[in-house]
Amino acid sequence: MSQIELENLAFAYPEKSFELSVDHQVLSDSMIAIVGQNGAGKSTIFKLLTGLLKAQSGKISVDGVEFSELDPKHRLQKIGITFQNPDDQLFNATVKREVEWSASQVMHDQDAISVKADAVLNKVGLAGKAGENPYDLSLSERKLLTVATVLVVDPEIYLFDEPMMSLDWPSRQMLTTIFHQLADSGHQIITITHDMDWVATEFSKVHVMERGMFKFEGTPRELFGDRELVQRVGLLPPRIMTVAELLGDSRTYLSPEDYQAQNSSY
Amino acid sequence: MDEDKRIILNQLSVRYRGSDDLQLRDITVSAEAGQIIGIVGNSHSGKSTLCQVLAGVVPQIISAEMQGSCQVLGRFAKDDWRQYNAMTGVVLQNPAGQLSGLSDTVEDEIAFDLINQGIDEAIIKRRVANVAAQMGLSDQLGQQPESLSGGQMQRLAIATAIVTDPQLLILDDPTSEMDPLGRQQFFDWLANANTTVVIVSSELDDLCEVADVIWILKDGQLVANGSPVTVFNHLNSDWQIPEPTIYRLAKGMNWRLSTGAIPVTISQLKEARYVAN
Repeated sequence: MSQIELENLAFAYPEKSFELSVDHQVLSDSMIAIVGQNGAGKSTIFKLLTGLLKAQSGKISVDGVEFSELDPKHRLQKIGITFQNPDDQLFNATVKREVEWSASQVMHDQDAISVKADAVLNKVGLAGKAGENPYDLSLSERKLLTVATVLVVDPEIYLFDEPMMSLDWPSRQMLTTIFHQLADSGHQIITITHDMDWVATEFSKVHVMERGMFKFEGTPRELFGDRELVQRVGLLPPRIMTVAELLGDSRTYLSPEDYQAQNSSY
Repeated sequence: MDEDKRIILNQLSVRYRGSDDLQLRDITVSAEAGQIIGIVGNSHSGKSTLCQVLAGVVPQIISAEMQGSCQVLGRFAKDDWRQYNAMTGVVLQNPAGQLSGLSDTVEDEIAFDLINQGIDEAIIKRRVANVAAQMGLSDQLGQQPESLSGGQMQRLAIATAIVTDPQLLILDDPTSEMDPLGRQQFFDWLANANTTVVIVSSELDDLCEVADVIWILKDGQLVANGSPVTVFNHLNSDWQIPEPTIYRLAKGMNWRLSTGAIPVTISQLKEARYVAN
């Protein structure tokens, strides 16, 4: 599995008071969630990781190689990203063309590209929409299309910025399954999300950001077990913990099923 | 009951021009004024179309074939669009698309409708400050609307919708871009809202706490209508709607209300646990 290393990274936007500052941070689990309030710097990290923004100082290396030294094709094969707003990255006339365009950045055989595009559209449930204009799709379908454009490139590391936003429940379940399949086949998944219930049950590692800095890393159980930290960085625990607390129980639970397992064994 | 105090949909069907399928199919349902109505459904269930019909946007602005009727608090959009429009506050799915584009600051954007109504400047200032405080935007009043984050943009859209004191507030997935604290603050605010509210949301745990009524839509049809506890105790797996957290917990622990129903709110959960013990 891949490993991303951030060293002495500093970045500031012109005309904004926000500053990002990372002394040393390693991202090396298969299913990583990055959490924090709006404005904590989560999306900025993603833009630095993909080269969309350039840090004022410091370096980012992937598997020991400085990312900025890779050529564009190798960067795409190393790290793929889907943005929070699908409209930031869709521009082709049809759904299938959108996926094929993405594939053509790393592949050249047109027939192979077409076959692969069909396969990933099928995987995200958009096979029936291949001929449609992306802007005739629902928001939820456009989000899934952006996932397809990254799946077709099959990078080693996937960055997803709020992938569940605006998705309905069946699509959420489908995407969770795809994430686990990717992780099981040796890919690294790094996801920005506000969905703490999802973080609690599906991720192996959580990184917390606050005001441009990494403030915590650990398992979901370690994070949500530290109530003082969760409150200080402006997060909420999973729903089940709020519910349990209202019942007078302040232990750490990740899901209703976890509550049941901890409370019905005797 | 008095028609002036209800939302009445009668055999409502809607098809957008050029579409083969009906977006809404033969919906007949009513709700009372002052209630919070939660609308739940998956993609293509017709939730957003129903919001647009209730807002009068369909068919007044977006043309569509509409059969049946939609009567809100005694009015029909087609009879007096101006009055109907003045009665409703609307937040549709893409809040950035709702900005007037004419305001330099968040304060001006919130004040936009009030200025158009020719209201006294001092009153506007007070009202805008009050609404901004309710939506947690007091510190952003001097900023450009375009500079806001997604979650702040959604709160701005809600502020512009409530500033005119609408009799019906229509909110289509208003918290999708908010962080957890922002979402919690919004639902706390909603619980105390003093108007009739129709809200589409996938935050089922929050909806169960605040909604008087839940409508579940599937493929344009209304498949469930009732109190949260009734609706979630009769979920059909074909609808592909998840169970709320409290429902899952209570089911697993076998905590039931004295009626036999599985609870969906905190107060019901406490009662059910008491019954079980």
